[in-house]
Amino acid sequence: MNERIIPWQPTVIAGPKQALMVTPETAKMMVKKAKRPLLILGPLAKEEPLVTHSIEISEKWDLPIVTTADTFKTYLEKGVKTKAYGVVEIINLLKDPEWNGLEGEGHHDLVIFIGGIYYMASQGLSSLKHFAPHITTLTLCKYFHSNADASFPNMKDEEWLIYLEKMKTD
Amino acid sequence: MAPKPKELKGDFWKTKDFKISIGDIIQKKETENTDEPLVSMGPTQKPSVTDLRSWDMKLLDRYEPFYSPLCDMCCLCTYGKCDLLGKKGACGIDAAAQQARIVLLACCIGSAAHSGHARHLLEYLIGKKGEDFPIEMGIGIDIEAPIMRTLIGKTPKKLGDLKEALDYVEEQMIHLLSACHTGQEGSSRDFESKALHAGLMDNLGKEIGDLAQIVALDMPKGDAQAPLVELGIGTINREKPVILCIGHNVAPGAGIMDYLEEHNLEEDLEVCGICCAAIDITRYNKNAKIVGPISKQLRFIRSGVADVIIVDEQCIRTDVLEEAKKNNAIVTATTDKMCLGLPNKTDEYPDKIVSQLINNQIEGALILDPEKVGEVAAKVAMKISKERSRTKTLPDLDEIIELAKECTECEWCDRVCPNSIPMMDAVMAASTGDLSQMQRLYNNDICYSCGRCEQECPRNIPIISMMAKIGEINLQDQKYNIRAGRGPVQDIEVRRIGAPIVLGDIPGVIAFVGCTNYPDGGEEVAKMAEEFLERNYIVVTTGCGAMTLGEYKDEEGKTLYERYSGSFEAKGLVNMGSCVSNAHIPGVAIKIANIFAKKPLEGNFEEIADYILNRVGACGVAWGAYSQKAAAIATGVNRWGIPVVVGPHASKYRRLFLGRTDKEETWQINDLRSKEVINGEPAPEHLLYAAETIGEATVMTAKLCLRPNDTSKGRQLKLNHYIDLHKKYFGTIPEDIYKFVRVQKDIPITYKRDIMEILDEKNWKPRKLPQEPSLMDMEGD
Ligand code: SF4
Ligand code: SF4
Ligand code: SF4
Repeated sequence: MNERIIPWQPTVIAGPKQALMVTPETAKMMVKKAKRPLLILGPLAKEEPLVTHSIEISEKWDLPIVTTADTFKTYLEKGVKTKAYGVVEIINLLKDPEWNGLEGEGHHDLVIFIGGIYYMASQGLSSLKHFAPHITTLTLCKYFHSNADASFPNMKDEEWLIYLEKMKTD
Repeated sequence: MAPKPKELKGDFWKTKDFKISIGDIIQKKETENTDEPLVSMGPTQKPSVTDLRSWDMKLLDRYEPFYSPLCDMCCLCTYGKCDLLGKKGACGIDAAAQQARIVLLACCIGSAAHSGHARHLLEYLIGKKGEDFPIEMGIGIDIEAPIMRTLIGKTPKKLGDLKEALDYVEEQMIHLLSACHTGQEGSSRDFESKALHAGLMDNLGKEIGDLAQIVALDMPKGDAQAPLVELGIGTINREKPVILCIGHNVAPGAGIMDYLEEHNLEEDLEVCGICCAAIDITRYNKNAKIVGPISKQLRFIRSGVADVIIVDEQCIRTDVLEEAKKNNAIVTATTDKMCLGLPNKTDEYPDKIVSQLINNQIEGALILDPEKVGEVAAKVAMKISKERSRTKTLPDLDEIIELAKECTECEWCDRVCPNSIPMMDAVMAASTGDLSQMQRLYNNDICYSCGRCEQECPRNIPIISMMAKIGEINLQDQKYNIRAGRGPVQDIEVRRIGAPIVLGDIPGVIAFVGCTNYPDGGEEVAKMAEEFLERNYIVVTTGCGAMTLGEYKDEEGKTLYERYSGSFEAKGLVNMGSCVSNAHIPGVAIKIANIFAKKPLEGNFEEIADYILNRVGACGVAWGAYSQKAAAIATGVNRWGIPVVVGPHASKYRRLFLGRTDKEETWQINDLRSKEVINGEPAPEHLLYAAETIGEATVMTAKLCLRPNDTSKGRQLKLNHYIDLHKKYFGTIPEDIYKFVRVQKDIPITYKRDIMEILDEKNWKPRKLPQEPSLMDMEGD
């Protein structure tokens, strides 16, 4: 089997449905197509170079940002506006089709994840996979997340940084 | 309708005649010839699986179950596997109900573990002391068994009286387990109601077990001055024969201590333990030592220090026999829960068992008699210790470097590590002679030695043995202490905290409990406890969590137990004991309801839980919860209205209980005083919440201590802590602060200007302050 698409932690495999492995090109297509995308940054996105990459990707695609755990502070200090939620809180809201989105302007159709703790992010993605059919999930971490709808493959740092760079171009 | 109390006659039970006078509680001690004292019995004596369902539904309306399936499939019957992703199974079940079913199953397992343990203890102790052995907790404790009083409606007076409560638990457990069968329950909410019942049975089972052992084994009875006992791998004297007890049942360990005492051998042998067995043995005899929590297990066994390993029940490595054989240690199994394929030697003469064990005629023994275990363990340890001390068990430091050189950087150790720990980098560094990274992972249990990496390594690099050796570099530093488990809180302590709790000088009670499946080691948990202690909260703790708090020293080399009192008071660090002592956490909340609000307990679960949910600012923290017992414990305290914050791994329990602050209608409360249903506030906001980082957990814990009936003075202080902590970890005043300001007087002075700005921005209006907030008697009841 292709090592790049065995989940990074192999035991998070949940069933027959696996994420689609995507390149930055496909990921960008998904973002372009989305009407109301949302970027969720987890606690691993508190460290550089991920902070800068996350900010630049969000700016490029005009993505509103939710920070989970205590990631908020890092972005506050950089002068970047984000909204803080516990990861379980935001996922709980996202799975409710009646929720009106971060800005109260309607639900999100694409949710992009960067920097979640792998095993917990996998659980959150599982919640959305099961209970939020109205949402597409995309992960831009350097690990393959089988519970997402679309995910980057497992990568070494160098390759991943190239992927992230590519996310900043058209 | 509020449940109506019914008058029941107490039978042979000598229930205390309960009288109330304003401002105080007068409890008349009954005399031996008291004739059928009357007990004012509430509506739910010995509640059945469905009796508390309406309460559960109130909780579930507000704190909806949030599911994260660990698996898309169900494989519980031969129609399966069924893929439940967007589909129903062959039996008709959907993914939500299936998650809830698995949660119920986990809670049943956890609850059965505690109640089975309680059954073992009770029968053993009745055998030892007799049915009539009195349950006396001393003058400071009138409410000996608050959970039992609430659920069974009776106060146990002697050991034999505990049987009725345990029979009740066992009956309920059978019904609950049977509900997991295919082709029955189809509602996730009803599965959750049953899980809450299983959790409640867990709480009761634990209370029975702990009460029995406290009285019959003369453990500390709510003693705030319980002695400090030694903790840490470095405290174990390796020159002596060493007996290691792993698990949760005190009986075999107590048998060993008794044997040593009777034969004047206490100075000659070292008895130590891992997990709650260790805590309970030190409650019995302070000369025993605690190696540490479950995270030490494999590496300590590998170190070869233990000559004899006694296993009882729960949380023990199932490959302990195989591991022990690697260094010629001898294993004895001591309960029906874990027999390991060993021959049953319970009826054999001790000397014969000893001879068979040391001559390798048997690979270990099953001995179901704690006294015999004591004799055999001591004799075997003394006989084999010298010989064993010559066996080399771990690689030398230079061998570690050579072994590490085998690493091909395949990364599989990192990938299979449940904790996503960078073990490969540590191994690679070791190959160059730099052991500091492995040492960092060893310290504070960032690696909790589960052994999965070692199992996976294609080069067969013995990672755990290497870690065990590396741990020996700084053995001298691994010496800590812990206050021996004191058992319950005294009623008198509860009375003393009345005013400071009401005025917010004590902003809350926080319970650090559970296992060591920590995302980033134990030190951050101890520091979190320290943070709350410094802020005047009362910190209670049990089990492996209590050990974690003991394993942290400040700059002066003092542990938290040396720095803070053991009393239930502001800045008190109260180690209640082992897993079963967790019962005293809802126990103290029940006492608060009984003592301050004069709520009768008997048969009155719902009223008590309603009081706790709305008024008792308590919150649990189970940062490293891993076991089914932890699932049952949390679910049980949730039913009493106590919220719990868990760590990221606990998302694998599949279910949380989350509130929605945007759904205002879910926070309505009934003010029983004015008989008005009014808009409430999200307090407590969640009932079971998983955080990713300790900073998030700290802020959430402070927030979850808010309660609708806080006085304005109390609310000010609670908000002050919430804001302080939010500023520390998030850098700002929390955006949701306006939701918790009911009237201007609630605003903490220090932050007044900033908060006023937020209030203006949110168009805030003062709200009614409820006098007696409640979820009872609401529409639809
Ligand atoms: S219990 Fe139901 S869902 Fe599970 S395998 Fe059987 S039929 Fe399928
Ligand atoms: S022993 Fe377990 S926790 Fe430690 S590094 Fe290996 S897999 Fe991770
Ligand atoms: S699994 Fe073994 S060989 Fe592979 S990286 Fe880890 S230590 Fe090295």
